Amino acid sequence: MSDSKNAGATTSVRRVDVEGEGSTNPTIPAAMEYDYTNFYFGAGDDPFALLEPFDEWYSQVEPAGYYLYELPLHTAPGTRVDIKDTKTGEMRRGLINFASYNYLGLSYRPEVKEAIKEATDVYGGGSSGSPILSGTTALHRAFAEEMAAFKGTEAAILFPTGYSANVGTIAGLMRSGDLIVADQFAHASIVDGMILSKAKSRFFRHNRADDLDRKLSGFDGKKLVIVEGVYSMDGDVPPLAELIEVCRKHGARLMIDEAHSAFVFGPTGKGVAEDQGVEDEIDIHLGTFSKSLGGQGGYVAGPQRLINYLRGFSRSRFFSCALSPVVVAGLRKALELASKEPELRTKLWENVATMQKLLTDAGVPQGDSTSHVIPIMVRDDARIFMIGEELMREGIFINPVRYPAVGKHKSRFRMSISAAHTRADLEEGAEKIAKVLGRYGLCQ
Amino acid sequence: MSVVGSYRFHTGVSAFFEMATADARALLPDHLEPIEVRHQRSVLSVNAFLFDDSVVGPYTELMFAVIVPPAVAAWGQHAKAGLYPFLAATSSEEARRIKAERFHFPYHEQSIDAQFIETHERIRVRIFGSGAPILDLSVTPGAWETTTHLLQGYMMNGSERLRTILQISGDYTVHENEGGEMTLFPHPITTDLLRQEVSPYPFREHWFKNGTEVFHKLETF
Repeated sequence: MSDSKNAGATTSVRRVDVEGEGSTNPTIPAAMEYDYTNFYFGAGDDPFALLEPFDEWYSQVEPAGYYLYELPLHTAPGTRVDIKDTKTGEMRRGLINFASYNYLGLSYRPEVKEAIKEATDVYGGGSSGSPILSGTTALHRAFAEEMAAFKGTEAAILFPTGYSANVGTIAGLMRSGDLIVADQFAHASIVDGMILSKAKSRFFRHNRADDLDRKLSGFDGKKLVIVEGVYSMDGDVPPLAELIEVCRKHGARLMIDEAHSAFVFGPTGKGVAEDQGVEDEIDIHLGTFSKSLGGQGGYVAGPQRLINYLRGFSRSRFFSCALSPVVVAGLRKALELASKEPELRTKLWENVATMQKLLTDAGVPQGDSTSHVIPIMVRDDARIFMIGEELMREGIFINPVRYPAVGKHKSRFRMSISAAHTRADLEEGAEKIAKVLGRYGLCQ
Repeated sequence: MSVVGSYRFHTGVSAFFEMATADARALLPDHLEPIEVRHQRSVLSVNAFLFDDSVVGPYTELMFAVIVPPAVAAWGQHAKAGLYPFLAATSSEEARRIKAERFHFPYHEQSIDAQFIETHERIRVRIFGSGAPILDLSVTPGAWETTTHLLQGYMMNGSERLRTILQISGDYTVHENEGGEMTLFPHPITTDLLRQEVSPYPFREHWFKNGTEVFHKLETF
C-alpha cells in the first residue's frame, strides 16, 4: 500500500497484551480499527475507486479475523459440523455448532430429505418461473394453504426469501407520504423495505412503547409499525400488548417479523404473538422458513384481502423466481414435523434453560436474552476475532458479531441453541467457551 | 501535510445524536451528503472542548457538526469520520477570530461560558450565553484507552470548498450504551436545532482527556 492511501490503517501494528494462557496471536493490526463503514463512500467519479483501498484493507483484516465469516461447511448444519479453516487450510472436524439457525434440527431430518428427493424426481431442481407466471406448482399452493392453517389466518403467501418478504410487503403496502415506524433494532430487510417504499421513516427506541407513542404522534395518514418476534442480535422479545395499545391509539397497523420466533414460540409454535396471547391483534404476520424449518423462503400470513393485494404489489416476489419446489417439499414436511412433534419445542426450551444455567454458573456474560438466541457479551471490538479463532481451535463453531452489526463496544458471539443439541453438546460447549473467555478475563 | 494549529485540551466531549436526514442535508453544502445511521436518520455531533493551551490561552468551545462520510483515499491519511461544522461558539473572542480566519468555522458572534462538571460516572457540560442556559450535555465513560483519531473536516469559504485533516490524541473512551443526554434551551444558537427532530439521547458518547487537537493545512478541492 502506498503511503498516500489509508496509511493510518495499514502501516503500523499495535500490540495488544492478552492475559493468561492460550493466545497464539497477541498482535492486532491497526487496520482492525477500521471497518466496512469506512469504505462506503469514496473520492472521485469512478465507482471502482473504492475497490483498491478496500482490498488492501481487507487483505490485512481477513487473516486477523474477518476470515471467520463465510467459512465453508462440509457437512449439514447439524449440532456437529466439519469446517474448512480458510486461514490454515485445515479441516476442523466435529465442531459443536452454535451458529446455525436450525433451531429444531429439521433441515437434515430423514423425513425432510426423503420429501426433497421425491419432489426432485417429480419437479426437477427449480421452479423456472415467477410465481405469478409459471413458477407456482401444486406444492406451492398446498404449502401456502398449510401455512395459513398453521398460523390461523385466512391466507398466506410465499416469498423466495425472508428478505424479499419484508421488502415486498413493506414496499408493496406503503407509499410516499405514509409513515413507517420500526424498532431501532429492526433487521436490514425491514429497513430496506422502508427505503424502497419512499414512506417517511422513523425508529423508536428498542422495545419502548412510550417512544413509539412519541414517534407516531402528530402524523395524519397511513401508519405502519414494524417489530420483530425475537431480535436476532440480542435474543429478546417485544412487549406486544403495550405496543398494540399504542398502535390502536394512533390507528396504526402492526406487522411482526417472526423470522427467529415462528415455529418455536407459543403453545402451538405459531410464534411470539401466540406466546403473548395477542396473535389475533397483529395485522401482518411475517416470517422465514430458513430458521426453524431449516429450508429457505419467507411468508406473510393474514387476511385474504391483504394476501390478494400483496400478490399484485409485492415486486420482490412478482419479479423473482418462485421458491424451488424441492425446497417447498422439504418445508412442507418440516412444517408437518414441527406441528406434530411439540416435544421438539419442549426440548429446545429445555436446552436453552440448560445452556443459560451452564453459562451463568461459569460466569460467562450473557445479554438480556429470553430466547434460543443467546448473546455472549465480549464488548471488546479489538479482540473478538482473536477470541473467535481460539474458540474454533477449541472445537466451537460460533459467529462473532462486531460493529457495525451491533454498537461500538457491544461485540458478542451470537449463540443459537437447537433442540437437536444433546446435554453433552451443551456441557462441552459451555465448558470450552468459559475456558477461552476466562483467558481473556471475560468470565465474571 | 503541514500543521497549522495545535490546541491542547483538558477535556473534550463529543456526542452523536440522530437527526432527520432532511434537516442534516439542509445544513450541508451541495457537495456533501450526510451519513445515515439508519434510513432517514443522520448524525448530529455536539462537541464541547476545554482547551488549556493555545495561541490565545485557555478557552472553551462548543461546536455542532453534521457527520459526513470520510472520503477514502481522497487525500492524505485515511480518516475514521468526516464532519462539517455548521455552528460554533467560544468563550474567547480572539480564539474564534483566529479559527474563523484559519479554518472558516461559522462562529456565533457572542461569547459563551461553560462548566465542565466531572464525576467518576459522567461528565456534564453546561453552556451559557450571557448567563442564560444554552445546552446541558452529559456523557458517560466506557473503557479508557490512549488513542489518536484522524478525522476529515469540511468547510466553506464563500463558494470555495475546503477540507482539512483533524487529529485528536489523548485518553479516550467511546461507547453506545445510551447513558448520556442533552437538553437544549431556547437561544439563538439552538433555535434551528429546537425546530428539528433531534434525539435527546446520544447513541454514541465520546469523552477525551488530556490531549491535543491538531489541524492540518486546509486544501481547496
